Amino acid sequence: MSAEARVKFLLNGHPQEVPCEDARILLDLLRDDLHLTGTKRGCDLGTCGCCTVLVDGRPTLSCLTLARLTEGRSVTTIEGLTPPQGLSAVQRAFVDLGATQCGFCTPGFVVTATALLEENPRPTRAEIERAISGNLCRCTGYIKIVDAIAAASRSSG
Amino acid sequence: MHLDPFELHRPTTVDETVRLAGALAGRFDFLAGGTDLLPNYKMHLNLKPHLVALEDVDELRGFSADRLGAMARLADLERDPAFAATWPSVADAVGEVATPLVRASGTVGGNLLLETRCFFFNQSYFWRASLGFCLKADGDRCHVVPQKEVCYATHSGDLAPALMVVDAEVEVAGPAGRRRLPLADLYDAKGDGVRRLTLAPGELLVAVHLPRAARGRRGRYKKLRVRPAYDFPELGVAVAGRWTGDRVEELRIAVGGAEPRPRRFDTLTDALVGRTLDDARLRELAEAIGKSVRPVHNTFLLPDYRRRMVAVYVRRAVAEAREGTAG
Ligand SMILES: Cc1cc2nc3c(=O)[nH]c(=O)nc-3n(C[C@H](O)[C@H](O)[C@H](O)COP(=O)(O)OP(=O)(O)OC[C@H]3O[C@@H](n4cnc5c(N)ncnc54)[C@H](O)[C@@H]3O)c2cc1C
Ligand code: SF4
Repeated sequence: MSAEARVKFLLNGHPQEVPCEDARILLDLLRDDLHLTGTKRGCDLGTCGCCTVLVDGRPTLSCLTLARLTEGRSVTTIEGLTPPQGLSAVQRAFVDLGATQCGFCTPGFVVTATALLEENPRPTRAEIERAISGNLCRCTGYIKIVDAIAAASRSSG
Repeated sequence: MHLDPFELHRPTTVDETVRLAGALAGRFDFLAGGTDLLPNYKMHLNLKPHLVALEDVDELRGFSADRLGAMARLADLERDPAFAATWPSVADAVGEVATPLVRASGTVGGNLLLETRCFFFNQSYFWRASLGFCLKADGDRCHVVPQKEVCYATHSGDLAPALMVVDAEVEVAGPAGRRRLPLADLYDAKGDGVRRLTLAPGELLVAVHLPRAARGRRGRYKKLRVRPAYDFPELGVAVAGRWTGDRVEELRIAVGGAEPRPRRFDTLTDALVGRTLDDARLRELAEAIGKSVRPVHNTFLLPDYRRRMVAVYVRRAVAEAREGTAG
């Protein structure tokens, strides 16, 4: 598209307006243009969930989202879920229970888990497992991840 | 992976969309949730210079017990218990599509019009260039059945069979106006893995209509796949029916994930209306359907296995549908 093409959206609560071609993928815009590298590029094809962000509160695969279609919406990345001081309840639980190994999939899991607890503050273990079934951990440390999400659900509210 | 440049259009009404589609004839794709189209674009599969995004078209959104907008999101359908109670086969299938993250963006229309799949097609440009391109993208031969100039790519959507057994109809809009057709007729019986739909060029899927007469059918969708949390169907069997005691009042069975189009088996099932479907008859029916389905070797599991599983899945799906509660 024309060099003038831009996108305007709310990024982690702050208005943002940046140049953006029509074919720009949200993940690339976040990482390469805005240098928010907390959101990870895993498979880049929608299979692994590493690139999950919230768009208007909804978990969204940023690798399969055109950046310009977030015009006027609110985008929250892992950076935006982290309070200015300290960690969110989900992040705290991941640390306390050792729910990370190499850590690459962690931002995606934290974003997905945050959206789950927003919708369902007291999920059962089965509900947690189902909710994270689109996030892959290649170190296969799923038990601790489920434990951490369950602990975060108990610690909040 | 970056996408090659294209121009993005955002119409807001069905009329505007259809006009745009007419003006861009042959040089565009519709974009719904993008969970099928964008992975294919990343692999350089049949790129177009224009994308027409459908998410601002109000008429395509939302759903009720009678109508699913083409842009209704699978995750929203999944969260509606009343819908699941009314249309059990459809609810089963929705919950089995991909993963919760894909369902958050994926739509009903995109699922019904999903590109057919084949392990020689769903590969990177480099991979395909190394082997030699095939009929479905950039080439002129088939690696699966080289003797023929036909594509056998597999219909791999979960919703189609589940909606076909409740006699769903689709509403489409195009340059010639609007029309309604049975969902089963959306898939081209004379086509192949490339020419797979009966839509005219530029035709847009607006909605799926669910007939009142099919409410209350008991239903089930059973899916064979490698990883239960993730994979596309290697086979999907949908059943909906009504029974009085053991006597069949109505019965529909559709099979997807096995051939270039999903298919219903009305001749076989109509012959059972008014009769008792005991174990022996169910076995006979399942074997007959199994014999007529012909998967080829273009997905993960071997075709002979998939074919034998047709009969097994038909038996299980019918048995479970019969036990299930009606809406
Ligand atoms: C990891 C992964 C796993 C998956 N597993 C499954 C699975 O198990 N089962 C399954 O069924 N699918 C699966 N999919 C495919 C896909 O996510 C779903 O089928 C989804 O419902 C497609 O919807 P969409 O809105 O994203 O489609 P899009 O990608 O936006 O569109 C798909 C196609 O339909 C066309 N189209 C869309 N809407 C319209 C319309 N209204 N009118 C005319 N044309 C239209 C588009 O041009 C495109 O060709 C998977 C995808 C991924 C990434
Ligand atoms: S069935 Fe043949 S023509 Fe069709 S996608 Fe596969 S290899 Fe290509």
